[in-house]
Amino acid sequence: MKNDGKIVAGLDAGHIATKAVIMRGQKILGYSASPTGFDVVAAAETALHHALETSRISRWGLAGIVSTGIFRELLKESPLDVTMTIPEYAADAKGAFFQNKDSRTVIDIGGNIHKAMHYDQNGNLLDVIQNDKCADGLGIFYTSIARSLGLSEQELSELALKSTKDVSIAIQCALSAESEVIDLMCQGVDAADVADAASKFMSERVAAMCTYMPLTKEIVAAGGLAKSPALIKHLSRLIKRDLTVVDLPEYIGAIGAAMSYEGGK
Amino acid sequence: MTKKGPGAIIKRFREITQKPHDYAKSLKAKGQLLSGYMCTHVPEEILYAAGIVPVRILSSHVSQAMSRSYIHETYCSFSHDCAYQGLQHSCDYLDLIVTSSSCIHMSEAFNVWVRFAGFQEKSFLIPYPHIIQTKPASDFLAASFGEFKQFVERVSKKAITDDDLERAVKVYNHNRRLLKRLWEFLRRDHSPITGPEVATATLASQVMDKEECNQMLEQLIQRLEAEPGKAPSGVRLMVTGGACDDLGIFDLIERLNYRASLVFVDSCTAARYFWFEVPEDRPNKLKALIEGYLGRIPCPAKDNVPGTGEKKRFRFIQQFIEDFKPDGVVFLYQRFCSPQPMDIVALKPIVEKLGIPSTELELDTTVPVIQFRTQLEALAEIITRVAP
Amino acid sequence: MAYTLTTWNDFKNYQTTRYRNYLFATQGLRCMGSTWSILAPLKGLGEDIHLIGGEPHAASAAGTFPDESREDIAAAEIGGLGFHSCSYLKLFTGEVIRDKIAITDKTIKEGYPRPDVIWTTHLCSQHSKWYQEVSRRLGGVPLYPIDMIGGGNAEKDPKIVDYVSDQVQEGIRWLERITGREFSDKLFIKAARNEIKVLVLWGNICALNMAAPAPLDERRLIALFPPAVVDRTTDEAVRLYEALLKEVRYMVETKDSVVPDQRYRIVYFGIAHTYGHPEMARILRDAGAEIVASVYTFGTCGNFRGFVNGKWSWEPLDLRWVDELDLSTRRKAITELVKIALGWPTWQGVRSYWALEEMAGAMVAEYNADGLLLAPSRSCETDFRNGYIAMQRIFKDRIPTVEYDTDQVDVRKMDLPGAQRKTELFVHLMEARKKGGARR
Repeated sequence: MKNDGKIVAGLDAGHIATKAVIMRGQKILGYSASPTGFDVVAAAETALHHALETSRISRWGLAGIVSTGIFRELLKESPLDVTMTIPEYAADAKGAFFQNKDSRTVIDIGGNIHKAMHYDQNGNLLDVIQNDKCADGLGIFYTSIARSLGLSEQELSELALKSTKDVSIAIQCALSAESEVIDLMCQGVDAADVADAASKFMSERVAAMCTYMPLTKEIVAAGGLAKSPALIKHLSRLIKRDLTVVDLPEYIGAIGAAMSYEGGK
Repeated sequence: MTKKGPGAIIKRFREITQKPHDYAKSLKAKGQLLSGYMCTHVPEEILYAAGIVPVRILSSHVSQAMSRSYIHETYCSFSHDCAYQGLQHSCDYLDLIVTSSSCIHMSEAFNVWVRFAGFQEKSFLIPYPHIIQTKPASDFLAASFGEFKQFVERVSKKAITDDDLERAVKVYNHNRRLLKRLWEFLRRDHSPITGPEVATATLASQVMDKEECNQMLEQLIQRLEAEPGKAPSGVRLMVTGGACDDLGIFDLIERLNYRASLVFVDSCTAARYFWFEVPEDRPNKLKALIEGYLGRIPCPAKDNVPGTGEKKRFRFIQQFIEDFKPDGVVFLYQRFCSPQPMDIVALKPIVEKLGIPSTELELDTTVPVIQFRTQLEALAEIITRVAP
Repeated sequence: MAYTLTTWNDFKNYQTTRYRNYLFATQGLRCMGSTWSILAPLKGLGEDIHLIGGEPHAASAAGTFPDESREDIAAAEIGGLGFHSCSYLKLFTGEVIRDKIAITDKTIKEGYPRPDVIWTTHLCSQHSKWYQEVSRRLGGVPLYPIDMIGGGNAEKDPKIVDYVSDQVQEGIRWLERITGREFSDKLFIKAARNEIKVLVLWGNICALNMAAPAPLDERRLIALFPPAVVDRTTDEAVRLYEALLKEVRYMVETKDSVVPDQRYRIVYFGIAHTYGHPEMARILRDAGAEIVASVYTFGTCGNFRGFVNGKWSWEPLDLRWVDELDLSTRRKAITELVKIALGWPTWQGVRSYWALEEMAGAMVAEYNADGLLLAPSRSCETDFRNGYIAMQRIFKDRIPTVEYDTDQVDVRKMDLPGAQRKTELFVHLMEARKKGGARR
């Protein structure tokens, strides 16, 4: 590997969070995430700083920084001076493959965008499908529902697994879904059932997107929302496939970016 | 049939609307041929004359996103739901699926069944004019209905005679008259039956064998004529709009904090389905069917009179307002529907000129009960304050 | 070196003149109608007929005056038209509501010029309502809609041809009654032949893009077909398109192109959306990717060989056939016009999904495409929204295929960041395919 021995940082500047990963060769030394907010450069700096701290590496020890994500281009200038950028779908493919060498498809469910990537035995991208506009914002919706219920995202996910009754919500978009969820809450529907309905809604949007691309046998899930077991349970059922969630699911973009340094595999 | 009170008959209608597939399968179990239909412009009499029971495809009201990869996001939820049922093979027991060209959303739902749900060989699209108030439309439809009749004869392996057609026309007309009589009860201030109950029977009729339905309706009407009226109607509300097969909305209207009654529903799942008749005892049966179907209350997707651009449906609506005397009008339409909301833009000023307050409710797969209740109660409040 | 079209300004002037005539005419008849209508019958009413069509006007107004257009759309929505309604419809109706109209030469006229008649078609449920609404808001303008029941192979079905022809025939009688003018078959037949000729000419021009390099790009194609849409019945229109055909033939002979660097050839299935096109085009151009064929720009005002033995072909029709057409009577002229309109790719695709998919397959093959870009419009009722859903599934395995959300003229519904991302992705997939990757 070209970047074997060199310490490289990968940055994934997403809508909701900016993630940083520090790697040496095949080893992940440290990682951290920071809310993107309105200043992606500051978020990237913060994430990078904390990732370096946990890795016990100084900034000067980095051979290079590769950025990906929707805001990757904004990180090019000083102070970050990234070495190169790589499109997020290419980074995701590499990162997912790195985390699971048997996989050939990753479904990445992020804060605003979700997509599915199909890749070869080297993690090289073969095909991508991405959501349409109405399906934007699943992660944002999830955070918002958690807040409405007075829960953290993890708590929301755990609560959903306790659901005993199937409740439907209209699935046109996250906006209308949120409106429906509030309506259900006002009707006195059990919070666990509401949480599960929200999880089901998101998984349906993702599953619908997946029908455009023939799915390989070995499929993994990634992205922040992959941390919700309820969502993964529904998604797996809808696409009729077993789904494995990769380790550090929200970091695969940053990992893939780091892996791409100097054309590395 | 044993003597049943009105409540029992309405309950049976309700069961049928809640489980239409079960009802259809019970007919199938008796050896009945069944044809699904997606639009009320299908001349059901031709199917019935061939011994096939037409069963309307209605929503299942289950939220799902899978149909989004077959029909665009921004098509109405009714079309999505109907498409989804095909994809789920919920209706594989049907021998046929038929539709007439009407609105594009439902045409696409039909296409999903044909292309992806295994109905390629057992489907028929009846080319139906979009501009209906013209002589060429009538001539064109004659050819379309003729081709459809031939198709049905091939499928049923039975020639459809004029007598068969006349019999079917009479059964269907009888059904239409019975439904009309049922709705007429709601003109009264103390009706023996509620609007939601009438809407239930009407919806059930669209998935039932008409002869069976007629028997139940006759019994129901007979019982009702002997029944005392229920409580005064309070705020009388009329609904006008698009396909609405969610009876929960009509129930909601009568469960507000204000005393309110549903008095009329102008939609293709209610009055527009049956508020016409096919002329009987005519020598040319297909022509009679055409005359009947072209003369019905127009669907907004087909309502454009050449020469003036008039929307003929509005004349009917004004007549219904005169006859049923609503205090308020609820415009009800599917989200993303194209023709209905466009009609409302022109209809609203007319309703306003008649001094009738109104509100708009946008339908989706599921009903936001609290939101709708708030809107309806606001309308009722406006009405009761204005009323002397 | 990039070729510069010599006929370019003539096209711009033609379109602008037509609009100015409509706006400022003090005599003659103003006729408003649909892009997709047969126009020649209107010309049977005289030589002083001024036309305005819904779609081209809305598209060009949005391109020239984005701020005014936003105001128009807002006015239409405040006036009751839904957010989800066709944005062409809203822009057009919004102008009527605001009593203000803007055209391509940067003229904004206060006071909407009321048409004398509206001559339109039932293209979709929104289109039908569009002109009803405009008629109503202008105090009840006489309106005649024609039901183009259409679909794949429709022009070969005598039942459909007769149905539409009967309506046109009735429509002509109506025009006489309403305008009080005597209908001239001589003028009508001349206009009919011109109309058919322009449609076939445009088809011939588009077919030349099968050459490598393709002589024209989408930017030029989008700008060159509106004159045919606005008024294709005049001798001047025929001369314009004959001159253009001659020029483009020359470009093919000399292997010239308006964009010589063409590493990737793209087929585009989508409406010509006003906003976002330059951004998409820039991403594509940087990669040497050009849209060489497009169903909307080709098929809304152009005719091709169409379905032959069940297979679609984008090969052009022989122009001599137009000269030899028997248009000796009113009915014959009507029938030929109806057939040519029903034969438009867009009229066929909008009614038959199978026709649309056949056309797409043929376009990809005949234009030797490296990628298929699908851009369903969120406002559009027809296949320009829905037809591309299934196409993604069909074509994804054969050729890099990407779909992005767009809208005709409503910038709020144009998912610009998403479209840019997907266009980048599209380029990436085409590059990977060319290098030998991106294949299952």
